[in-house]
Amino acid sequence: MHRIMIIAAALALGAGLAACGSTTSGSGSGSASTGASSAATTASCSNASIQKDLYAKGTLTVATDKPAYPPWFSSNDPANGKGYESAVAYAVAAQLGFKKSQVTWAYEPFNDSYAPGPKKFDFDINEVSVTAARAQAVTFSTSYYDVDQALVALKGTPIVTKHAPSDLKGYVFGDQIGTTSLAFINSQIQPTQTPKVYESLNDVKQGLQTHQIAALVADTPTAQYISSSEIKNSVLVGQFPSSGEHFGLLFRKGDPLVGCVDKALATLHHNGTLAALQKKYLQVYLSVPLLKP
Amino acid sequence: MVGPPQTSFGAPQRRSHLLSSGRGAVAVSTASTIVVLAAFAALFFLAPGSAAVRHTFFNPEYMWKSLIGDPRAGYYSVGEALWLNIRMFLAAEVLILILALVIAVVRQSDSPVMFPLRIVSTIYVDVFRGVPLILVIFAIGFGVPALNLTFVSTQSAPVYGVAALVLSYSAYVSEVYRAGLNSVHQSQVAAARSLGLSHTASLRYVILPQAVRNIIPPLLNDFISLQKDTALVGILGAIEANKAAEIFSDTVFNYSSYVVAAILFLILTIPLARFTDHLIARDRRRRLAGAPS
Repeated sequence: MHRIMIIAAALALGAGLAACGSTTSGSGSGSASTGASSAATTASCSNASIQKDLYAKGTLTVATDKPAYPPWFSSNDPANGKGYESAVAYAVAAQLGFKKSQVTWAYEPFNDSYAPGPKKFDFDINEVSVTAARAQAVTFSTSYYDVDQALVALKGTPIVTKHAPSDLKGYVFGDQIGTTSLAFINSQIQPTQTPKVYESLNDVKQGLQTHQIAALVADTPTAQYISSSEIKNSVLVGQFPSSGEHFGLLFRKGDPLVGCVDKALATLHHNGTLAALQKKYLQVYLSVPLLKP
Repeated sequence: MVGPPQTSFGAPQRRSHLLSSGRGAVAVSTASTIVVLAAFAALFFLAPGSAAVRHTFFNPEYMWKSLIGDPRAGYYSVGEALWLNIRMFLAAEVLILILALVIAVVRQSDSPVMFPLRIVSTIYVDVFRGVPLILVIFAIGFGVPALNLTFVSTQSAPVYGVAALVLSYSAYVSEVYRAGLNSVHQSQVAAARSLGLSHTASLRYVILPQAVRNIIPPLLNDFISLQKDTALVGILGAIEANKAAEIFSDTVFNYSSYVVAAILFLILTIPLARFTDHLIARDRRRRLAGAPS
């Protein structure tokens, strides 16, 4: 049975690739993923009916990277239900009829999450921004958080006071690899010096503290957490206006489960659960000065 | 360039026997090579995930995109980034050759005055051969800037990377030098000293030329390795070829950029490998010149 599913997945992938092959830079991906999800939304989303689509029967397997950073997770322990992403995962699980004890957490490095072939999770929740190019390789859920980019710098450094659009071009920026911050820096700020791209968020923070970079660019909640709790002499310079970026749950390409998860997210959005969780875990991050790119 | 084969064994009649039996062997080896290659090709193309793997690792469109780069889309040219690897390699190579020679000569000295230096260089070699290179790069790249010194702590990531490469590789290369120094017979030193050459002069004009000639192949071997290890400097945030490939794959969720980086590194290392072969063959011809075959 498992083997048949693998072959079916490979065929679905192949079909998806064929569909995308003729189009340029990702415009075909939308139709491929919506095709898969619309097929699933017509089916029932009861706990019993989605069992066939699960990685492991009886449990919802959710993946994230290590370390799991606040405020998305708490104490590097995704299973404690604290932190925004952990709470969202359990809320989605509850909508799909799983008890808290029926949720299993898997470790999935970000670089591996989009590898071809079968996945070892039902979905991955790891602050992954949705882009058209990425959606050619995996399937994303709808947004569970609309995200903006922000700047963190050390107190007393020039960028804290001088950050007009023309000033910003002169600084060295740093970000974590795999985030969309790099594209943001290069397309919106357009600095004259090449930004530094670090392996982990901890390395970016170290780079900032040792003056290897003038400022780090991260999503606003992460930036707020770093400046308020992690690097004592740092300050959040401000956040950039929204570019329409949002986080999505990551699924194997063509995974039928995404339809029911999208339904669950829509319910959580309409009944105010997502807003409440954002208020609870990300609330301190709401009053941030706006920068002009 | 075509001369008699430089085999050191066998009389002429033995050699011709080898050649005649070789003709049948060529047919067999050709056939078996074709069968093996066909088996690998079949395995690769007929595997259930073949289409996905070819799309994810060998997609020509993505390979071209990653080679060219597009900073505004969030990724850099892998080809351009390779230039940083080449520069780091060239700088490190020169420094390693000098530092390693100093260490080797110190370790080989027998003067009582040099005893403390001998101890220091022995510890140095033990430590830097024992600690993984990636940890040395990490320690230098993040540790030295944290010291907050005026000149030393304000260098760029590639400079720290080269420093770490030099520290680590000098330990290895000094041992290669030492083997070369040991390979020169003690009577050469005695002969040089009896001609009235000073200790330094006999080292410079008699020992080192013979020693270095013996160790050119292992030296170049280490430098081929060094070329590839420049990729490790990427962990400091510098955008070298491997880092650029990683950024690309994280941005568009496709690993084809890694294949591009691998091909570029091959193009870089293969000429050096062939040059090593050439030097070995030339040295062998010269040493065996005039000897009875």
